[in-house]
Amino acid sequence: MTRTQLEIFFGLILVSIAVAVIIYVGFTEEESMAEQVRSQHAEAIEVGAELFEINCSGCHGLKGEGIPGLAPGLNDPQFFTNRLDEAGWEGTLENYIVSTVSTGRTVSTRPELYVGGGKPAMPAWSQQFGGPLRDDQVLNLATFILNWEATALGDVELAELPTPGAEEAADPIARGEQLFASSGCGGCHAIEGISFGEVGPNLTQIAEVAATRKDGVSAEDYIRESIVNSNTFVVEGYQPNIMPQNYGQQFSGQDLNDLIDYLLTQE
Amino acid sequence: MIKNLNIQDLRSRTLELVDERVRIITAGLGLKELRAVMRGDPTTERPNPRYRVHITSFIFHIRPRYYEKASTWFTHTFRLGYLSVLFFLIEIITGVILMIYYVPSPEGAYESILLLHGNVPFGFLLRDLHRLGAEAMVAFVALHMLRTYLTGSYKKERSFTWLTGVALLLITLFLSFSGYLLPWDQLAYWAVTIGTSMAESAPIFGNEVNLLLRGAPDIGAGGLLRFYLLHVILVPLLAIFILSIHYYKVGREHGISLPARIEEGDLSKEEKKAFTQRIDYIPNLMNHEIFLACVVILAIVVMSAFFYNAPLEHHADPQKTPLDTKSPWYFLWIQGLLKLGDPVLMGIVVPTLVFLLLFAVPYIDRNPYRMMSKRPIAVAIGLLFVVALGILSFMGTPLFGIETPPAVRIVQDLAPEEGIGPLRAIPYDQLEPGVYEVGITDSTTLPPELALVFVEFENRIQEAEEAGDLPDAQGVMVIEDWQSDLRKVTPRIIWTDPESGEQKTYEKHIFLHLDRRRGE
Repeated sequence: MTRTQLEIFFGLILVSIAVAVIIYVGFTEEESMAEQVRSQHAEAIEVGAELFEINCSGCHGLKGEGIPGLAPGLNDPQFFTNRLDEAGWEGTLENYIVSTVSTGRTVSTRPELYVGGGKPAMPAWSQQFGGPLRDDQVLNLATFILNWEATALGDVELAELPTPGAEEAADPIARGEQLFASSGCGGCHAIEGISFGEVGPNLTQIAEVAATRKDGVSAEDYIRESIVNSNTFVVEGYQPNIMPQNYGQQFSGQDLNDLIDYLLTQE
Repeated sequence: MIKNLNIQDLRSRTLELVDERVRIITAGLGLKELRAVMRGDPTTERPNPRYRVHITSFIFHIRPRYYEKASTWFTHTFRLGYLSVLFFLIEIITGVILMIYYVPSPEGAYESILLLHGNVPFGFLLRDLHRLGAEAMVAFVALHMLRTYLTGSYKKERSFTWLTGVALLLITLFLSFSGYLLPWDQLAYWAVTIGTSMAESAPIFGNEVNLLLRGAPDIGAGGLLRFYLLHVILVPLLAIFILSIHYYKVGREHGISLPARIEEGDLSKEEKKAFTQRIDYIPNLMNHEIFLACVVILAIVVMSAFFYNAPLEHHADPQKTPLDTKSPWYFLWIQGLLKLGDPVLMGIVVPTLVFLLLFAVPYIDRNPYRMMSKRPIAVAIGLLFVVALGILSFMGTPLFGIETPPAVRIVQDLAPEEGIGPLRAIPYDQLEPGVYEVGITDSTTLPPELALVFVEFENRIQEAEEAGDLPDAQGVMVIEDWQSDLRKVTPRIIWTDPESGEQKTYEKHIFLHLDRRRGE
């Protein structure tokens, strides 16, 4: 055979193999496209989780459990079963989330339960409405929030970490700082450089201010009283009954002491 | 009438009619002749109708009737020029199909790529082919130029052909780079931001060029649309125009150069005659080119189907500068240059000079000889140039000259912002929730793949502690169940800052979902 004939012969074989490969890809394409879709959905949840932690967890809780008096829980059966009816919403829950996140809330829909983070009650998050997030980020957030359905409805139980102690700081002030963050105090109270809440009084210089609030009451006692029973003294310009009344039950004595120690460093 | 008609007649009459039609389509080749061409047989008619094709057919008129034998040797050209054109063709075909699905807007672009992957049969394969073909095209064009330089095939009547060739190199680079932006992911956004900001630093008209390219001070909808239109219309048209000139010059004017030792060497008349005997384009070279096309198509299809996945990073985010920005490999040398000094000098002046020098090579090098032994300086400069490009490219990678804080570096290497990395590669069921402390947790009790990553984390922290980068370093890796099928991994490094004596902490929160692809 001449070289030209060999080239024609092998060329035909090579092209046949290439066609065979493409046909093979065709047979597996359905499955690999489905895998792509699953992976894209998973990535949306991962990205949404990051966004939630940075932007939303301050008011809605680190794990979406909500903060009493401030903002509702999203990792919550009521949110998945009842919320659309309650709000009279015609679309899907995803539509509802996207709409709420995008435009925010000028006033709370349930002011007796959740006052929200000041004015507006919830800021608009979409760039279309003056917020910081792009629309694809809002969608990722919605995908992440919807992924709470299984745990909220109790279909899936997540194991708590066996030893949270390893994370816990030994120093009482550092523990107090962790409690301040994890209990959602920052959602309502601002401390310069740490939190931005506007519902309650600013705590940036609370160690100094607390000593002057009530005659004859030390700063420490004033803070303790304000946490456990906030209505005994309401700072001018703020409403009573907004701060949850159950912190006395929620915190252990040690928790309370650490939190107070931490707040006393804010001067 | 029926009586007059016999089968023999009918058959030859039909064949005649078919033959006539075939001749019209093939620009002069009859049925018999076509068969001979396919079999590589000599011509069946006189005068040779194969030569006529080169006059009557548009496609063939830019190809020569024949080449001299020695210039068709594989080891002389390695077919690099032809392969470059072949990849260009593959780019056009795959590119036009991709255009059906692509949306050139910042809101739609990324989503359209996700849909292409998840909702278009063969969509991912097409994108792989297009991406791989582009990379190959850049590589083959560059190699083609190197070959032409080393064999001295740019001299005398080939000077202008060389010039069009350098223009085609620039066009190829721009085509590839403009395509980079289109997926609108982090990779695209930041590579093009860096590229256009280099243009911005150019003196006098830099700001105007930048505004023209981006359509606004920052890359947005305007910039994306401009790059898209440049990528799919203007630059390809320019490429086809200059490529035609390039082909015409080679095919019709001066042909492919003979190897220098045949042209200039001390050969007897008979030898020279044997080496320069005519090899007809039809059928020998045409069949050879089709064969090469078959090889390339099989190679690129197999690569795309099984070994290569075109990268797609997170959605472009102007607010989030990636930790490791990396330009495409063919521009790494410029990134390397930029690390050496002033951005105007190194980013604009030097690369411009390099390309001007490339354009001017045939006009600077007046040495008439082509053999390497007779032009040692030119060859040495060429090789030095290649070595310099290699070194600069290495300097362009993040491995060189970038100072990342050690704790950030350790976490970034385990779980990079983009791509998979060791941590994301761990199977989901092995990410056992728990608190793992460096120096305390016994890694042998962990699931095997998690143990590997944890040991790596441990070793890196201990190395950094010993090197004095992270004094009194402690490391913790916390894995928590976060949602159903979602876990959160927090690598945390605590150390004492040597200057202030304060305790510092660096941590990163990484979310891992069960269904996320764990391989490249």
